Amino acid sequence: MAISLSKGGNVSLSKEAPGLDVIMIGLGWDVRATDGKDFDLDASAFLLKADGKVRNDADFCFYNNKDVGGAVIHQGDNRTGEGEGDDEQIKIVLSKVPTEIEKIAIAVTIHEGEANGQSFGQVSNAFIRAVNDSNNAEIVRYDLSEDASVETAMILGEVYRNAGEWKFRAVGQGFKGGLGPLASNYGVSVG
Amino acid sequence: MAVSLIKGTNVSLTKEAPNVSAVTVGLGWDVRQTDGAAFDLDASAFVVGQNDKVLSDAHFIFYNNKSSPDGAVIYGGDNRTGDGAGDDETIRVDFARLGVDVKKVVVAVTIHEGVERRQNFGSVSNAYARVLDDADGKELARFDLSEDGSANTSLIFVELYRGPQGDIKVKAIGEGWESGLSGLAGTLGVNLG
Repeated sequence: MAISLSKGGNVSLSKEAPGLDVIMIGLGWDVRATDGKDFDLDASAFLLKADGKVRNDADFCFYNNKDVGGAVIHQGDNRTGEGEGDDEQIKIVLSKVPTEIEKIAIAVTIHEGEANGQSFGQVSNAFIRAVNDSNNAEIVRYDLSEDASVETAMILGEVYRNAGEWKFRAVGQGFKGGLGPLASNYGVSVG
Repeated sequence: MAVSLIKGTNVSLTKEAPNVSAVTVGLGWDVRQTDGAAFDLDASAFVVGQNDKVLSDAHFIFYNNKSSPDGAVIYGGDNRTGDGAGDDETIRVDFARLGVDVKKVVVAVTIHEGVERRQNFGSVSNAYARVLDDADGKELARFDLSEDGSANTSLIFVELYRGPQGDIKVKAIGEGWESGLSGLAGTLGVNLG
């Protein structure tokens, strides 16, 4: 039975799914029902050291840098939200995450959101969830609808180490200005 | 002090007024200053279930169906020009009467014959939606619509719903359709027949 988190809540993935190794982080949202440009949400992930920064730019996992050391792998770009279930996915192989990486931040940005006058508050039924890849069991879910607002970039959640376990925290923190400031925040050199 | 909403934001009405259980959504807009047919904006409400569609066609509340079957949502009358100070049309929502299968009440506005008269929200000035506490008439929240150049002829103004903690909430939407009522009703599952 999946646990539903609210903003700031966390859960132990190791406790909920003993022996867990491969997690599929799924991101979903509804296709736009009103007139106007489709919402194109892009998932990304940042592999972070204890100081909250990436080791180098290759630790920024997104549609143009899909595979980070076989540990965090982006599964591809969905441009409208069409289709049941997850619209974008990021696979995390816990056993391959380098020991100096303390957490993996999962973010989502609205592609060209500022230019199109779009923000997360307008997107319906957006969610992030973590699924045990070995048996497809959903472990935890965070529905964004209450916390989404005027931003075009958001840190959705974090998968992190804590006392020998892996945990998931629902973050739901928006970033003004989009992907650039968000990535810079994690120490990624933005062109 | 009413909370001012911008597109996409939501606020807890219960936080503003702890005992709130029935609210009136007041909608207003300016009378047309330039020549041409007057803007006739019609308020409507859709009582929507978990599947994001109306519970039944009878849950589409508008000037020809003024009350929902449970009496929870009531339409307050048709103003055809926007004349008069204060709210031009109202929708009352009594949360105490809404069933548990209700996900939200969508409050919308359509420009009557907007497509035919070539009127859209881009030409309507000072449109707003505000939420008043029925107990004392106090304005709890307000959403001023600024639709620069919008070609929409129907618009979802706000949605009223219960948040995860059970409090009564309002979210500002301001999104719509160029196709008027058919786009709006069609998306929300109403058979216009």
